[in-house]
Amino acid sequence: MSAAPNIETAPSTVAAARATNVMVVGVGGQGVLMISKALALIGQKQGLQVKQSEVHGMAKRGGVVFSHVRFGAEVWSPTICKGEADVLIALEWAEGLRWLEYLRPDTGVFIADTRRIVPPFACRSRRRGATMAYARETPAEVIDKVSEGYALDAAAIATGLGEPRAANTVLLGVLSASMGVPVAEWLAVLEMLVPPKSRAINHKAFEAGRAWAEAAHDDASLRFDAGITGDVTHADMAEVSVRLDINAAWCKGCDICVKLCPERCLALNDHQVAYLKAPQACTGCHVCEWLCPDFAIEVHTTHQVSMTVSE
Amino acid sequence: MNDLLEAPFDVKDYLRLEMMPHFMCPGCGHGIALRCLLWAVHELGIDKNKLAIVCGIGCSGRVGAYIDANTFHTTHGRPLAFATGLKLARPDLTVVVITGDGDCLAIGGNHLIHACRRNLDLTCLMLNNEVYAMTGGQVSPTTAIDRLTTTTPHGNAEPTFDACRLADAAGASFVGREVTRQAPALKNVIKAGLAHEGFSFIEVMSDCTEIYGRKNDLGESPEMIMSQKSDMRPEAFGNVADQPFRANRLRAGIIAQRDRPEYGSVYRQRAAAEQAKAKAKS
Amino acid sequence: MTTPSLASLHGNRACAAGAIAAGCRFFAGYPITPSSEIAEQMSRELPRAEGVFIQMEDEISSLAAVIGASLGGVKAMTATSGPGFSLMQENLGYAAMTEVPCVIVNVMRGGPSTGMPTRPSQSDIMQARWGTHGDHPVIVVAPASVQEIYDETIRAFNLAEEFRTPVIVLYDEVIAHLLESVVLPQRDTVPTMTRKWASGEETTFLPYAATEDGVPIMARPGDGHRVHVTGLTHTPDGFPTQRPDLAAKATQRLLDKIEFNRDRIERNETFDIEDADVVIVAIGIVARAARRAVQELRSAGLRAGLFRPVTLWPFPEDALREAAAKATCVLVPEMNAGQLALEVERVVGPGKVARLNRIDGEPIAPADIVRRVREIAA
Repeated sequence: MSAAPNIETAPSTVAAARATNVMVVGVGGQGVLMISKALALIGQKQGLQVKQSEVHGMAKRGGVVFSHVRFGAEVWSPTICKGEADVLIALEWAEGLRWLEYLRPDTGVFIADTRRIVPPFACRSRRRGATMAYARETPAEVIDKVSEGYALDAAAIATGLGEPRAANTVLLGVLSASMGVPVAEWLAVLEMLVPPKSRAINHKAFEAGRAWAEAAHDDASLRFDAGITGDVTHADMAEVSVRLDINAAWCKGCDICVKLCPERCLALNDHQVAYLKAPQACTGCHVCEWLCPDFAIEVHTTHQVSMTVSE
Repeated sequence: MNDLLEAPFDVKDYLRLEMMPHFMCPGCGHGIALRCLLWAVHELGIDKNKLAIVCGIGCSGRVGAYIDANTFHTTHGRPLAFATGLKLARPDLTVVVITGDGDCLAIGGNHLIHACRRNLDLTCLMLNNEVYAMTGGQVSPTTAIDRLTTTTPHGNAEPTFDACRLADAAGASFVGREVTRQAPALKNVIKAGLAHEGFSFIEVMSDCTEIYGRKNDLGESPEMIMSQKSDMRPEAFGNVADQPFRANRLRAGIIAQRDRPEYGSVYRQRAAAEQAKAKAKS
Repeated sequence: MTTPSLASLHGNRACAAGAIAAGCRFFAGYPITPSSEIAEQMSRELPRAEGVFIQMEDEISSLAAVIGASLGGVKAMTATSGPGFSLMQENLGYAAMTEVPCVIVNVMRGGPSTGMPTRPSQSDIMQARWGTHGDHPVIVVAPASVQEIYDETIRAFNLAEEFRTPVIVLYDEVIAHLLESVVLPQRDTVPTMTRKWASGEETTFLPYAATEDGVPIMARPGDGHRVHVTGLTHTPDGFPTQRPDLAAKATQRLLDKIEFNRDRIERNETFDIEDADVVIVAIGIVARAARRAVQELRSAGLRAGLFRPVTLWPFPEDALREAAAKATCVLVPEMNAGQLALEVERVVGPGKVARLNRIDGEPIAPADIVRRVREIAA
């Protein structure tokens, strides 16, 4: 808490020496830019110079988006160097981890939504239980690493309020608690940024985020959801059991199945007949069956309705 | 009626198992095309007793023998003509023609354009492997420019037919094309063609790995089939942008579909009117 | 109406009428002189008889469509002339190999190539027998009158069905365009044959297994047996083979089913043959001229007789051998450079055979034959 930049004192003390740097990161469609615009407006309202720079052009829905916001008495560079962000606010868990090294190691504040948006290519395996190429750190581990961190399921809070898309406003509320600007000013800025019909819900979302943050400021144990153990290494897919039958008498060893299997789980044996080399990697995708010109492969899949995926 | 309807697709239900394994070379795309046809037949619930497969000559012509249906292995280039007689005589049958690029476009080219024009309810699968494979790898109407074959030892200098454009121009009421690499998509195009009332022409981009691929350094079977997916092998076709010939990049999927009167039903309608007139007279 | 009716018909129209009476319900053809009237007549009649007529893109596809329809279970025919008949040879072989009943009418005109489209000829006698490649069975009937065109067209369908083979009706342009009185029997009194069909219930069924008379039982699509039909040499199960023993058996059976059933196929007509010194062997319009010539020769004291093969192929060789046994000379007048004479020479020996050929597009007149017989006698 002590390390939080205090904008009230910034013009005279801290900002005289340097600007305040806030990084907002997430993936396309989450509202990264709304948060950074809000920050920029807040800065302007304080009579400070503001620079905002963003990369979003190549971000389709789900692609990486980040935004740098700098404000102070005098700000020249629009971007933040590694290790110089005063606040890193992440709308997606893994994106927060991706940009972690931009945070000031000694005083930086980390605010992250624990909601995971797993890109399709992070999990090439469609099999339940398959390992994903997604961040394995739990919120507890990460919060422990940074000087001051807050990890919350903002999306769940927003959903609870009836509008899942307001998760970014929840995070804005959390951020506001670290930045000494009066609530009324934040709400005024919010009013400028959101369309009239969603003002009420965004107001509620902001309040909810701020309330969560205030509680967390007082009690460090509330700064992350201990319940999230980070079971993010498993694809959220229906359980499928697969049996592959290879008719050796029909196989002519053309190698198509071996080379076109997405999981590379087939191989040719010494007799140039295909066999399942890595059964655990087989996802039952049927590609080998479809592309076998000799009808030598049969993929039998049984979909099992898993109780854990009932949500 | 058809107890296979409810069951999930098992290709073995539609194959003459006593004939397997089939005699196509390792990696030949024709096997994949065959699966897709049978898959489409299954999904449409077509009774195999009422399914007639009419094939020509060549590798494509041999595909029919493996299908557990009424199969006819006819003369070179003529399957469309045989099928025309069969379908007119037996409108209750689903008649599918399996032909090749040489069979359909060279020796059978005349039958193709007239089948397109006539619009009888047939489905014609042209398995295009760009070569006369059965006879040892001679140049065909779809062999790409500069390709080596046993009769173009210095590289093919003849322009390459775009079979779909040809069929479209001749009036086929359904024209489709798909690569064997995209098996489910191919199945769907065949299914749409089978369901279409009228003449359906479907070009299946198949692969001849043993005779054509090897001679032209196109890689082994997996490489050939993988190159289909990326770009329909544009490099194979050089810069041939002349109108009737094949473009650099081929369109896939359903290329043309138009509502034209189906010849058989029109003929039967007129015959019925004629019979009614004769009855009224007597 | 229970009595037969009398009609005046052109040869080609009698052919179409005979086909309909025989149960033909599919015709595919391509226009060609001098056979086009058959197609025209069929295009009018077939729709009324719940049949199908189609004009195809060429003669190749015409016979292909006919075979396709016959494979579907419908009696089918096509009609053409020399150039078109040449194109049909490919699928004629296919029909012979796959044993598909069908009827092909060839109205002969002058050749080779386009030749003389409107002039008569008999120059397809050998093409009808040997036109398609490979050892194959074939039945050819050669009517000589409009009535016989009607009757023989019906018989052609019956033979095709009975022996599962293509049957060719071969006649010349003169008879094709001849108008004569024809007795048309009541439709239901016309003797018709239908091929042996498999019921579809048989537990084991081989589509090309020989039955007693060597003719296999046919499976109709949709009835239950899903069989394979191929122009490749095949075993009784219908699938291709290259095993020498099986291939020999398969081809032999094809030939045998005609050879062993000659008595059911052969037909010939004789006139004043019993005591003939000179036996004239002729078909078609020439046989009619020959008959007149025989009468003239007889009244002049020369013992002439006529032997007319109605079934041209298989050639009625035993009947001719018997008819010509006592003759000193056998004369073969024909409108070609000598085709029927080759077969007659084979049967009765070359020493006895004299020829009379005309290749100018004109029919042979009785006087031509009389003159030739007098030459020989002198």
